[in-house]
Amino acid sequence: MGRKKKKQLKPWCWYCNREFDDEKILIQHQKAKHFKCHICHKKLYTGPGLSIHCMQVHKDKVDKVPNALPGRNNTEIEIYGMEGIPEQDLKEHEKQKANKSGTKSGAQDDDDDDDDSNGLPPMPNQFMNGMPPMPTSVPGPYMPQPPMPPLPPGGMMGPMRPMGPMGPMGPMPPMGPGQMGHMGMPGPNMSMPPRPPNFMPGVPPPMPHKPAMPPQSTAAKPLFPSAAAAIQSTEVSGSPKMSTSMKPTFPAAAAITTASSSTASSISANATITGAPVIKKPESSSGLTSKLMHPDEDISLEEKRASLPKYQSLIPGKNTIQQGMPPVSRGPPPSQGNPRMRPPVPPPQGMMAMAQGMNMQGGPPMYNMPYPGSGSNFRPQQGGGRY
Amino acid sequence: MGETPNEFQLNNPPADGISAVKFGPNSSQFLLVSSWDTSVCLYDVVANHLRMRYNHPAPVLDCCFQDAVHCYSGGLDNILKVYDFNTNSGTNVGTHDAPIRCVEFCPEVNVVVTGSWDSTVKLWDPRTPCSAGSFSQPDKVYTLSVCGDRLVVGTAGRRILVWDLRNMGYVQQRRESSLKYQTRCIRCFPNKLGYVLSSIEGRVAVEYLDPSPESQKKKYAFKCHRIKENGVEMIYPVNSIAFHPLHNTFASGGSDGFVNIWDGFNKKRLCQFHRYPTSIASLAFSHDGSVLAIASSYMFENEEMKYVPEDNIFIRNVSDQETKPKS
Repeated sequence: MGRKKKKQLKPWCWYCNREFDDEKILIQHQKAKHFKCHICHKKLYTGPGLSIHCMQVHKDKVDKVPNALPGRNNTEIEIYGMEGIPEQDLKEHEKQKANKSGTKSGAQDDDDDDDDSNGLPPMPNQFMNGMPPMPTSVPGPYMPQPPMPPLPPGGMMGPMRPMGPMGPMGPMPPMGPGQMGHMGMPGPNMSMPPRPPNFMPGVPPPMPHKPAMPPQSTAAKPLFPSAAAAIQSTEVSGSPKMSTSMKPTFPAAAAITTASSSTASSISANATITGAPVIKKPESSSGLTSKLMHPDEDISLEEKRASLPKYQSLIPGKNTIQQGMPPVSRGPPPSQGNPRMRPPVPPPQGMMAMAQGMNMQGGPPMYNMPYPGSGSNFRPQQGGGRY
Repeated sequence: MGETPNEFQLNNPPADGISAVKFGPNSSQFLLVSSWDTSVCLYDVVANHLRMRYNHPAPVLDCCFQDAVHCYSGGLDNILKVYDFNTNSGTNVGTHDAPIRCVEFCPEVNVVVTGSWDSTVKLWDPRTPCSAGSFSQPDKVYTLSVCGDRLVVGTAGRRILVWDLRNMGYVQQRRESSLKYQTRCIRCFPNKLGYVLSSIEGRVAVEYLDPSPESQKKKYAFKCHRIKENGVEMIYPVNSIAFHPLHNTFASGGSDGFVNIWDGFNKKRLCQFHRYPTSIASLAFSHDGSVLAIASSYMFENEEMKYVPEDNIFIRNVSDQETKPKS
């Protein structure tokens, strides 16, 4: 998330430049201010989400994020809290803040609770939360800071300040951020050598919760209980970068797919078998790599499976046309063989399909006989009776 | 991950992948199960006992009850079979030119519907039983669902066709799947307003049959059956959808091994069960919605899989709390 070094900045809203003490609040703000549907007042999760929601649900076009600064109202940029802010804007903001209030202190980036679910040790949060109350007892490398829970806007601290006191907290047993506030730190530990690995004086600690939270995971969150089905799918389809969506509303896209699939099938119908068309890889909507758990050919799992030798041998009418197939003794009694064993690699799919297609046509079983039908140059078709 | 008090595993599960589980029309006692081990089994769920079993020559991809004592099944052998549990005898009803992927019974029209990779849907009159017509589809049939007297067919190439079972002379609606990936399963709302469609890419769409813009506006889709692990989002096929017959809520089962229950009209997830040992291949609610059958059966999604997990059927008693829309 290009945001790691941003540690010391308070969360701020890209749309209106407002700062918040807590990213959670920021998200609430964004949902209420910028991502709320003006028609049904539903709070969406991102700008694209909003525009797709309006398009799909209300057939209304939203091309500007409401209440946003000029130039910051793009509905195509997907921003959720601090996620997704364009790098340059981040830098700029950082610079501005640095200029404005370089002397203020207090890295106060409250993490939200999401972290817990990420399985990260909560300790980094503790640094943060625990900090304010402890300073008095803690002689830091710098002077103790006054407790300052909610940071005044623009509060930007020298990155190292808070670090000193934080050091010792690392090793503590994980605890909910909530409790942290009360943790008094034994001052003495403070400057001890054992430090949490990510404690680096002078360097802002890596933002621990961010990387663990893939950008979209938040968007995916609305997932169920909250009627988000539609939103989700829409979110996906709407944002330009993703193309996985089913999108009835975009006939163009659909047309393309059909076109391609129909050409593909017509090709395979006329040409010698080349195997089934290949399924295109799904593009991930979430920035994650995604993996379609399906064979590559665009045929059904059943067709693929039926082409396995162990099943082919059961199909009456298997004939010799399929080169590449081991000669099969026909009609072994069913449920023979070891069904749990994975059969050897099947011959190329196309072959099988063709074999299947052909042997059907003859009616009476013609085991091991050359296909009598249309002469030697008969072109078998994939999948039998395709026209 | 252990079993919960309201759930148990069926004894004697099929020896290979489970392709479909279906409850009988009027009781939650009997469960029909078709399998890649070429069998169709009838389980007495109450006694947890395998009651009856017959075989096809090849793996069976789907099955359905016609009434309490008859069932239909079809699979890789291209043969549609009817089986009479009273006489314990099976008859071949007819064939497709390619494996039969779907078998459904439509009580309203009293017709059995099969969908096949030969790109046709065939209707079968259960009284004779004999073929009552073949209707070509734009591509291999992957899934179908009946909805009153309507039939919704999902084919390869992401096409959706809505047929009127009373007049199969023309296609009532041709649609394209609103999902970008291969259609995995379609099931119609019991209230006949629409259907739910799932794709191999962890996504489910709720769609309405009424073509008017007001109704069409309500359609939507959502992501599900995805797991984030080590920064990688794994996206699983949504293999199965089953509607609660009374509440119009539905369960989805994915290759991630999870079963979710959704309130499609209110866009809410009602609950998620524990993770099952492997892919959810099929789901079925009993006629009164009190029991959910969950087939957990590896489906060869992942080619690197070293060993094949066991195939199991879980019978779960579900409460209104889990399945009723929270209003």
